[in-house]
Amino acid sequence: MIFVELILQGLIQGSIYALIAVGLTLVYGLLRILHIAHAALFTLGAYLGLLITNATGSLALGFLVAMVVVGVTGIAIYRFCYHAVLDQPPHVALIASVGLFIAMEEGFRLIWGPTSISFSEPPWQTAVVVAGIQVKTADLITIPLAFLLIGGLAAIVAFTRIGLAWRATVTDPAMAGSFGIDALKVRYLNFFLGSALAAAAGVMFAILTNFVEPTMGGVPSYKALAIIVLGGLGNVRGTLIAALMLGVIESFGTIYLGWAMDRDAIAFAFLILVLMVRPQGLFVRS
Amino acid sequence: MTRGSLLLTAGLAVLFAATASAAESVKIGMNLPQTGIGAADGKSVLTAAQIAVDEVNADGGVNGKPVELVVYDDQTSPKFSVPVATKLIEKDQVPIAISGSYSGATRAAAGVFQAAGVPYISAYAVHPDITRAGDLVFRTSFVGEVLGRAGAHLVGKQLGKKRAVVTVMKNDYGKSLARGFKEVAAKFGIEIVNEYEYSLKDRQFGPIVSKIKADNPDIIYDTGYWFVAAPLVSQLRGGGVNAPVVGQEGYDGQKFIEIAGAAADGVMITTSLDRDSTVPKIKAFMDEFEKRAGYKADMVGASAHVAVNVAVAALRKAGSLDGKAIQAALQQTKYEGVTGKIRFNEIGEAYKVVQVQVVRDGGWHHHSVITDAKLLTPPLN
Amino acid sequence: MQYEISLAIVMGINIIFAHSLNMITGFCGQISLGHAAFYGTGAYCSALLAKAGVPIPLCMLAAMAGAGLFGLIVGFASLRVRHDFLAITTMGVGFLFIGVVRQQDFLGGEMGVFGIPGIVDDKFLFMVIVLILAALVIALAVYLKHSWLGFAFDAIAQDEDTARTVGIGVARYKLTAFVIGTALAGLAGALYAHYVKFIGIDSFGFVESVTVLSMVIVGGIGSIWGVTIVSAVLSVLPLWLQFVSDYKLLLYGLLLFFVMRFSPDGLDGLIRWIYRRIAATIGRPAVADAE
Repeated sequence: MIFVELILQGLIQGSIYALIAVGLTLVYGLLRILHIAHAALFTLGAYLGLLITNATGSLALGFLVAMVVVGVTGIAIYRFCYHAVLDQPPHVALIASVGLFIAMEEGFRLIWGPTSISFSEPPWQTAVVVAGIQVKTADLITIPLAFLLIGGLAAIVAFTRIGLAWRATVTDPAMAGSFGIDALKVRYLNFFLGSALAAAAGVMFAILTNFVEPTMGGVPSYKALAIIVLGGLGNVRGTLIAALMLGVIESFGTIYLGWAMDRDAIAFAFLILVLMVRPQGLFVRS
Repeated sequence: MTRGSLLLTAGLAVLFAATASAAESVKIGMNLPQTGIGAADGKSVLTAAQIAVDEVNADGGVNGKPVELVVYDDQTSPKFSVPVATKLIEKDQVPIAISGSYSGATRAAAGVFQAAGVPYISAYAVHPDITRAGDLVFRTSFVGEVLGRAGAHLVGKQLGKKRAVVTVMKNDYGKSLARGFKEVAAKFGIEIVNEYEYSLKDRQFGPIVSKIKADNPDIIYDTGYWFVAAPLVSQLRGGGVNAPVVGQEGYDGQKFIEIAGAAADGVMITTSLDRDSTVPKIKAFMDEFEKRAGYKADMVGASAHVAVNVAVAALRKAGSLDGKAIQAALQQTKYEGVTGKIRFNEIGEAYKVVQVQVVRDGGWHHHSVITDAKLLTPPLN
Repeated sequence: MQYEISLAIVMGINIIFAHSLNMITGFCGQISLGHAAFYGTGAYCSALLAKAGVPIPLCMLAAMAGAGLFGLIVGFASLRVRHDFLAITTMGVGFLFIGVVRQQDFLGGEMGVFGIPGIVDDKFLFMVIVLILAALVIALAVYLKHSWLGFAFDAIAQDEDTARTVGIGVARYKLTAFVIGTALAGLAGALYAHYVKFIGIDSFGFVESVTVLSMVIVGGIGSIWGVTIVSAVLSVLPLWLQFVSDYKLLLYGLLLFFVMRFSPDGLDGLIRWIYRRIAATIGRPAVADAE
């Protein structure tokens, strides 16, 4: 019984990681940039979702506003941060992203205070019993929500014109350009979707823990970085699977490996182990 | 005199007056968290400390001179508390300092103050090694072991629970409390079914909740701060674990209740501030605090208020700014403040009674008081 | 004067730390996001040995050896991965270091190691020692840069594959860079431990790795004097800026961002740019970028 519970916990946690990691892998797939500032978008999503829900009483509105605003913010970050340094060596974009991340976290602290904020009426808290396991509604919603959003993204990529353009640009930017595909539009879409997913992850996280504070984005996002490497940089499906796997490994690891290392290290230990055996990651890039 | 030289003289006079009056105040150094994870507690500490300073200054200050707080942010980290301590000692040259911060930061800074000959008071940090840094380090709140023992007393003797799960926050604070609890658990008939550890950065406790559910204890004793305990308690209840939870002063404050919501109901803690106190001095403090801070008084604020007053009492008694004289005065100090009566033993540990508070109607309320002298006597080594 | 001595010590230690990374990242082009792990290894080695009674000079040598050995292992790992993979792998190494040390009580665990003995009792003397070591490290960096080793490093940094075809034993040189860089980081860590006399895992995390990396990049990757100046200034900036204490991290983040956005070659690049503009204005043909 405990095993089933641990697996469930792991999948829930993994779903959150997946929502964050997908945005990261999209950016890497397109631009070969490690988008560290993505972590701050996760946090921003949590703040907006919580504040709007508290102010209007509507969680749906909270989700919507969070995802749209953060999506646009993601585009802005591309425009003002990455666009100009695309032809520089990769460490430039990396450090610029780090600086932006730190500045944004501080911005959150200065605007909303250093201490945590909570829902005045936490949503989805009713207890539900599923197969003998008691969970909150929020726990149950996380996994399908992640699948829905990521599935939606996959659908956009597979079935729409702009999705086709995106795939073309990732595969061969020069060729895509010669077909008249507007690289800029593709990048904007890329950042919008990835950031919106991170925002959704943030709101979900806020619902699960009822605890939003400026530095909450760091730890989940560092793990997301490990996940995108495992999943194959740029590979959305691989990232999703790697995220869920990691969630479960962490879940068991916290209990059974706690004597050797703390929870956050487990993700990286797993990563290093895998890379030593398979330097290209678990799944080859699609 | 020309206009220019008149202006210059006036300017110099003002400068002189400013530096002179600045030199006139008695400085009390403080390290506390203004940013980072402990910022909320830091705000309580600063508010309460300022209340104490204002009261003291209204009362004539120290030997005629006003008291001034010199405050630096240490982000609850030893990484910063050490350079902050160095700065207070070497740059601001404070005669005495108070830690308004957590155990890790206080411990590191204590060594620096001891080595520099400056008396240092830990307002609420509990780790035993703090006072062991030397004879110049004092503590106005409970040492970890004592608080842990009080927890065992509450669980075993008062509530009569036999099977307990202990959840330990993995740092100075959490570990010393757990040690105290385990030290006397058997004496109070408590069987520790299982023990789990977590980091102060954790917010998601799914695996631990599942395991505790399988353990099915009568009660849970937890040693975490409010920002980890609140999600933990909330997730315990969400996961169907209904055993009562006993925490400690790390929960003390409105934020715990705010985050945990309905799950906080019935949670008990061992702490030092009695919200339902009818003592005029305590009520006056709580009212003033709420007026200035915008939220209800908490244990860290009360402890800071006490620490400042104890420092001032010692400064007055010593009559000088000499470290040794202040140390001797502190050793003798007996003070009665918003956390009750306090006096120190040979190694600078305080003895005082434990307030047990419980969450009811969305706030902390009086549950009981633990006065067992032998249990609460701080260790001598 | 006491306070200024403290500042000088902090600067010296950070100069050594930054240059140690510069050798790996700057000279050899390998991005490390986990350099604080080697700093930490040196700190813990020296601290624990010193507390066990080993004479301090031996402790510090052990610290360098320990950090260098760790660096060798990580260096081997770096041979298998490239660029961004490397960045994340080194980040993982950093987290792994913290994660493991945190759980082992004999290493101090969550609480850290207290009561570390100092190297000398006199703070002024300690400052002199630190500054001399810093000067030696800078001298080593200058020497390396202009030596065959430096030439090989540079080739690898520019274009690894071409370097290989020209016959440069890429693997050997990468490892050498890693070992030298990590050993020096260990030295800095040991000095740090004996200075603050208390160490906890908090001081060796991702934040510290990013900080030292930013010092190198803002100084100008590979630039010796750029890294020296920037590391010295950035290490004491937070202490100087107590009056803007509430905004110091914000300013720091913005600094990193704007420097990367507008002067990707860091301070070094900025000064060169200014020099070129001045030369152009005076009318002289711009002098070729000399070292």
